[in-house]
Order: sequence, then C-alpha cells, then structure tokens
Amino acid sequence: MVSEKPWRDVVEASKLEKNWVTRIEIGPRLIAIYDTPSGVYASLALCNHGGADLCDGYFDGHVIECPLHQGAFDVRDGNPVSAPATRAMRVFETRIENGMVQVRL
Amino acid sequence: MSKAIVTPLTQALAEGKLTREELKRFMQRSNGPGLRRLALWILLLAFTTTLITLSWNSWLLWPAMFLQGVVLVHHFSLQHECVHYTVFRTRWLNDLVGQICGLIIILPHRFFRYEHCDHHTYTQLTGEDPELIPLPKTLGQYFLYLSALPYWRGKFTEVFRHARGNLSEVELRFIPKVEHKAVFWDARRMLALYGAVFLAMALTGWWGLIWYWIIPLFLGEPVMRFVRMTEHVGRPTVAQMSENTRTNLVSSPMAFLCWNMNYHAEHHYVASVPFHALPRLHEKLKDHIFVEKGGYLAAHRDILRQILRRNPGQKAEV
Ligand code: FES
Repeated sequence: MVSEKPWRDVVEASKLEKNWVTRIEIGPRLIAIYDTPSGVYASLALCNHGGADLCDGYFDGHVIECPLHQGAFDVRDGNPVSAPATRAMRVFETRIENGMVQVRL
Repeated sequence: MSKAIVTPLTQALAEGKLTREELKRFMQRSNGPGLRRLALWILLLAFTTTLITLSWNSWLLWPAMFLQGVVLVHHFSLQHECVHYTVFRTRWLNDLVGQICGLIIILPHRFFRYEHCDHHTYTQLTGEDPELIPLPKTLGQYFLYLSALPYWRGKFTEVFRHARGNLSEVELRFIPKVEHKAVFWDARRMLALYGAVFLAMALTGWWGLIWYWIIPLFLGEPVMRFVRMTEHVGRPTVAQMSENTRTNLVSSPMAFLCWNMNYHAEHHYVASVPFHALPRLHEKLKDHIFVEKGGYLAAHRDILRQILRRNPGQKAEV
C-alpha cells in the first residue's frame, strides 16, 4: 500500500555513520537511521521491549541489536530477530534524494 | 520528545566515561575468539573426562569428578554470554551453544534469557531483580546457600512448574504472553530428553553419564554459587551500577573458566560488549566502578565481614 505521508528531509546522507546507526530527532520523535549494504532504512529509535535507545546498540548488516537486553530487529521490515524482542518495530519508508535522507513520517 | 529509558550505558555516555566511538569499537563482534576459546574448552572437558576414566577404580574418582564439575558448572558463564549474543558474531551460533549449555546445567535457555533481562533492568533492586541473591543473615544461611541445595530446589521446582504449564507471579512479569507456551514446551522437551537419556542408560546398562555428568554437576555447583555470590552480594541494593556490582580481578585460569564474567560491572555497564573485549573495557571504566582487587576470596571475606557485623556473636576467621 502506498503511504500518503509526505517525504521529509531528515539528514544529509554524508552525515550518516557509515554501516552503523545514526540518531535523529524529528519534532517529538527520536528516529534511528540505518546505513546498510542495501541502502538506508529508518525506524523508531526506542526499543519496543523496554524503551532503550537502539541508536546505542550494536549494528551488523541489517540487524540492530538493543543495548539493554540484546533483543534484535531486522531494520528492513522491523521484524524481531531475537528475544526478548517479540513484536515488529515501527519502520518508515526511506530514500536518498539529492544527497538528503528522506523519510515518510 | 519521546525519551529513552536511563540505563548504565546512557549514563556512561552522558557523563563522558565512554565515547560513542569507543563504544562502537568495544562492541565489535567476531567468531574467531569465541571459536578458539570453545576449542580450548572442549579440550579441557576432554582432559577432566579422561581424569575420571583414569581414576575409575580408586578414591581419586571423587576429586576427578569434582574437577569435571567445576568445568561443567561454568557452562553457566558461557550460556550467559550466549544470552547476550556476545560469544559469536553469527547469531544462531550463540543460540545453539547456549541451548547446549542449558541442557548440561539444567537451565532452559529461553527462560534464562527473559529472567536475565529483568536482572539487567533492575540489578540488585530488592523485589524487582529476579536473580538477586540476598546477603545471608547468618553464617548458617551463607553455608546453606553455598551448598547449592536451595539453588537446586529452586531450579527443579521451576522446571517442573513450567512443564505443568504454570508461571509464578514474578515470572509473569518478565515473560511476554506470546512466549508462555514456548517456555512450557522448552521445559517439557528438556525433561523428556533427560528421561530418554536415563532410559537409554537403563536399557544399555551403561550408567557412565551419572559419573561423568550428573554427580560432577552437583559436586561442582557450590563453586558456581561461590562465584555468583561475588558479583553483587554485599554490594548496596541501589540502582547505581558503580555501587551495586563488584568486578573481581581473578587469575587467568579463573577468567578463562568464567568467560571474563569477573569483569561484572563492565558487563553490566555495556552488556553488548563481547567477553574478549571486557578486559579492555575494564581499563576504560576501572575508575568508575567497584573493583575487588583480591578476587573471589576477598569478595567473600567482605561478605563474611558484613554477615559477622550483623551477628557479632558468631565468630570466624575472615
Ligand atoms: S529494551 Fe530492548 S531488548 Fe529490552
């Protein structure tokens, strides 16, 4: 289904931490932007298990691991990869346009 | 602004004890160190197993079984690392090795993972930390805990409770509803497997596993209780990680056995750091944590002093 939400510029692509996760504040929200071998992805930054900041976690390939209990999610679709993560995390459509990372929020 | 919860890590970053770049470096995973240590581990097990075989018909069987037991109970340390996905970079390897360790020491891996989450969230907070070991009130309680009898009573009660499809009030707090059935089936599978092993021994008439595994496990568990007490017991029951946890500087054979978990405060600060990087993290954090330079023995001297201070009538040389 095509999202009706508008694209928003969030950060210059060159400012992303390479092959890692970058924390971005957009209004009241904390967003995690992931630089991966297959492109850029975005999710809510707070872990849906216990509220820790995923941006301080370990990132490997397409998997973000929470720093508090090591629950993990696939950043491409938000699906949980390892317990204690059991629910998908919220992900956002993401693209790079003219050097800017854009997210549909 | 949506706010992340405050954790020891967020505090360490905010207070500049650790920079983001350092954190990134410390967290890096690889399979090499874990596989190399596991190979040595298997050699060590082969060695202690051989000692049992060689001492079969003499009184030396008992010390040999004790040695085997000391190694066996330290599968807890390996399983603990696997719960944190910090032994191997390949995630499923951590799951596989963790499950095997759990079978060896009778600790279902999934259940332990969930319980351990709350231990990290509520470390050393009375009534909230499900792994909290209270400071014994008397010397009798201290030795009773070290005997591992209360531990085994708790473990067996727990596994049978799960196999019956029940969870305690405390367990309901940390195991999500979607996982209840899986926890029950883990316990049933585990008991069925043990049942099959005993049946196989009965059918073949070869009872060797009793001597190579079961008796050593029970002989060794007091050593694991001794080690586990040094992590938090006797430290203040407060939320501050710099206070509530003890890092113990131990000899390299002991650090090998416990997969560097003696660097316990460092581990609690940043649980994503693999075992092999903990000594380096220690160098970074050592001025901000409680370090027991005298190792396990000094930690127990401290615990005993606190018990005796409460009970001036009891005497012991500590
Ligand atoms: S808070 Fe993220 S796994 Fe528990």
